[in-house]
Amino acid sequence: MFLPESMSRIVIVGANSYIDETTDVLYDLENIHLIDHTVDADEGFTLGTPRPNNSANTERLLKVRGMSKELGINKHTKTQSISESEIRSQITSDSVESIETEVMAVTGRRNDLNQRITDLNAKKKSLELLARLPIDLDMYSGYRSISSIVGRIEKDPTQALAGMGEVYFDSNKKEGNVIAVFVKNDDKAQAQSILSEHGFSEIAVPEGTGSVNENLAAVNSELDAANKDMEVVQKDMQDLFEKHKHSLRAYDEVLAVDVEKGTLPIRIATTDYTFVIDAWVPAADAETVKQTIESKVPGTFVEIEEERSRKQHDSDEAEDRFKTAPTKMRHGKISKLFEYPTKMMSIPKYNEVDPTVLIAIFLPLFFGFMVGDVGYAIPFIILGAYGLKFAKNPDWRAIATVLFFGGIWAFIFGFFFFGEALGMHFVGEYTEGAVTYTWAGLLHLDNLHNFFGAFLMNGHGVGKIDAEYVGMLLRLSVYVGILHLAIGYIVAIYNKTVQHGFKHGFLEKGGQFLIFIGVVLLGFALGFMLIMNGELVEPLKIFGLDISINWHFSNETLLAILGAGAAFIVIGSIILAKAEGAMQILVELPDTFGIILSYTRLVAIGMSKAGMALAFNYIALGMFAGISPDPTITTNNGIIMIILALVVFCVLQLMIWTLAILSGGLHALRLQLVEFMIRFYEGDGVEFNPLKFKRIKTFSDKNVKEA
Amino acid sequence: MVDTALGFIAIGAGLAVGLAGIGTGMAQKDIGAAAVGAITEDPKMLGKALMFMVLPETIVIFGLVIAILACFVLPGM
Repeated sequence: MFLPESMSRIVIVGANSYIDETTDVLYDLENIHLIDHTVDADEGFTLGTPRPNNSANTERLLKVRGMSKELGINKHTKTQSISESEIRSQITSDSVESIETEVMAVTGRRNDLNQRITDLNAKKKSLELLARLPIDLDMYSGYRSISSIVGRIEKDPTQALAGMGEVYFDSNKKEGNVIAVFVKNDDKAQAQSILSEHGFSEIAVPEGTGSVNENLAAVNSELDAANKDMEVVQKDMQDLFEKHKHSLRAYDEVLAVDVEKGTLPIRIATTDYTFVIDAWVPAADAETVKQTIESKVPGTFVEIEEERSRKQHDSDEAEDRFKTAPTKMRHGKISKLFEYPTKMMSIPKYNEVDPTVLIAIFLPLFFGFMVGDVGYAIPFIILGAYGLKFAKNPDWRAIATVLFFGGIWAFIFGFFFFGEALGMHFVGEYTEGAVTYTWAGLLHLDNLHNFFGAFLMNGHGVGKIDAEYVGMLLRLSVYVGILHLAIGYIVAIYNKTVQHGFKHGFLEKGGQFLIFIGVVLLGFALGFMLIMNGELVEPLKIFGLDISINWHFSNETLLAILGAGAAFIVIGSIILAKAEGAMQILVELPDTFGIILSYTRLVAIGMSKAGMALAFNYIALGMFAGISPDPTITTNNGIIMIILALVVFCVLQLMIWTLAILSGGLHALRLQLVEFMIRFYEGDGVEFNPLKFKRIKTFSDKNVKEA
Repeated sequence: MVDTALGFIAIGAGLAVGLAGIGTGMAQKDIGAAAVGAITEDPKMLGKALMFMVLPETIVIFGLVIAILACFVLPGM
């Protein structure tokens, strides 16, 4: 559960004639993590070459993907599953090529039409411009000594061109000015330079005879015809999409499988007659894998080379390509959901504790404690459950996981510990001058006291920004932090013990743990001596049980604790200095104080949200609705103000709720990744990545037969 | 006299949160700029970038805790 699954290294040897069958079996097993062969790793072996039919398959796959793109078929297109054997028989009977001919014919027509429509549109645009000048099309060209210059122009150049030749100019502010100038060939350069000073850009005059308007009408009718043709072609494309979408998606899947299988030989070692495959398999399945391969492919032999131990020494001694055993995390249905934050850091090493289970316990717990409010918890649970059911994207699923499980904890804390919803306590006595509302007072439900009073802390729940409880909450968060960090330190020592033995483990990580214990004891003793004068009295009652704290420490006891703390720090420092150098002590001591105090964020964030809720509730309920926090004073505001108050209330509460996701979620995660995991986690492992395919659009005939 | 003491406590609490907030802001300014750059190149970095963004918030949380202690615990002592 905590260490990744134990791995065995196997070697599969077989005759080259059986390589296809072996590949199929390896993919069907879905439990083989291939070790890539490296050139010159073993004398006499070379890397294999792709299977003979691979290039044909690759070509077909490219064709299928090209056609899918043309027809707009993608992974979101809904298509039916088709049997693998049917698809294979279609592929061998050249159906990919025949579909390609069909699709090419239609796309060719479509491309021609697209080109034609573009040309016609350009011609239309030019003609529309020329239609504003009183010149027929054939008058623009065909002269020996005269040149025509036609185009758009920003400013009127008629004055500047006076006497040079014939000028036709039409001014239009909206559509721009158009000009046609006819000059002697000798004057052309001069005319062009004058025109360019006036912001001229030339257009090509379309070929043709007769009036521009007649030509324009002809172009319009050609354009209409082309657009109609285009509609027909698009209908044909749609028909092709409907006709081939099922088979194209299935071809893509089957061919992708074949291409990947066909290139497998380039990852393994081969000779002229044999192949050798090195692979990792979970140790528990190694024997089954051996038997399955040997029984299904007669020409092969499988040898279980080793079961890799967790000792670092064994990994370091191994040949380069066998050094790192892959990590296969072992998780149940729920803890698997929390793999995301672990992977966000790194994949755990083969010989270290996978922190996912610990994250699965503490992440939602911390999030729930920071939110601690029934009113915010219920939407979290609903949203989280919805996300877990429907979300596919791993990022969204990770957020939904935290929202759902964190929401459950937030509900538990909100209902049984803090006793509040939407920043208002369920029950509580009104104190003169306060601006805090209670649900009992707001809804005039006096019976709530009987229900909640029975189990809530001191009859009304813990107030997050209540002077009475602030000290207790801060201490509680520090105690939670100490527990959490202690687990981290113990895991660190355990990891090193697994890798190098206890002595080494204790010497490497024990120093930090002893300093941590010393700091905790020192902090405890100093706190009692300097701040609390040796006593802590706190009347607490929950579920009707008296759990009041009544601690008294004499000065001698506190001095003894102080001494013990100092002793732990000294011993820890000596061990640490030996392991990592004396300078590390200077880093470790303040760091330990810092990380423990960092857990006060559990309360600080809860308090900041409670403070916001208090202010917002007073704005909405007190200022708009005119409801007094004192339940004995009745409301005297109109219905419009009450509706407005509800709207303001909802908007402001939504703001707190959104902030709760961001601050609560991120800080809960940060406590795991920074404060906790840095104690022990190294990561940088390689994930177990077995040869397999996920079939979506095709189904295997084997499965159908077995069913 | 008591009022003056309370006033000083309130000023102290305000300074604790305010100055710590400025410190956090200065740290987050640089991290934020780098994070936006990283996310633009690879949107998958969002999770990690957000994580780095909240790292300096420890500073303001320490400030907040001191302010809380000043407001709630000091007046009772």
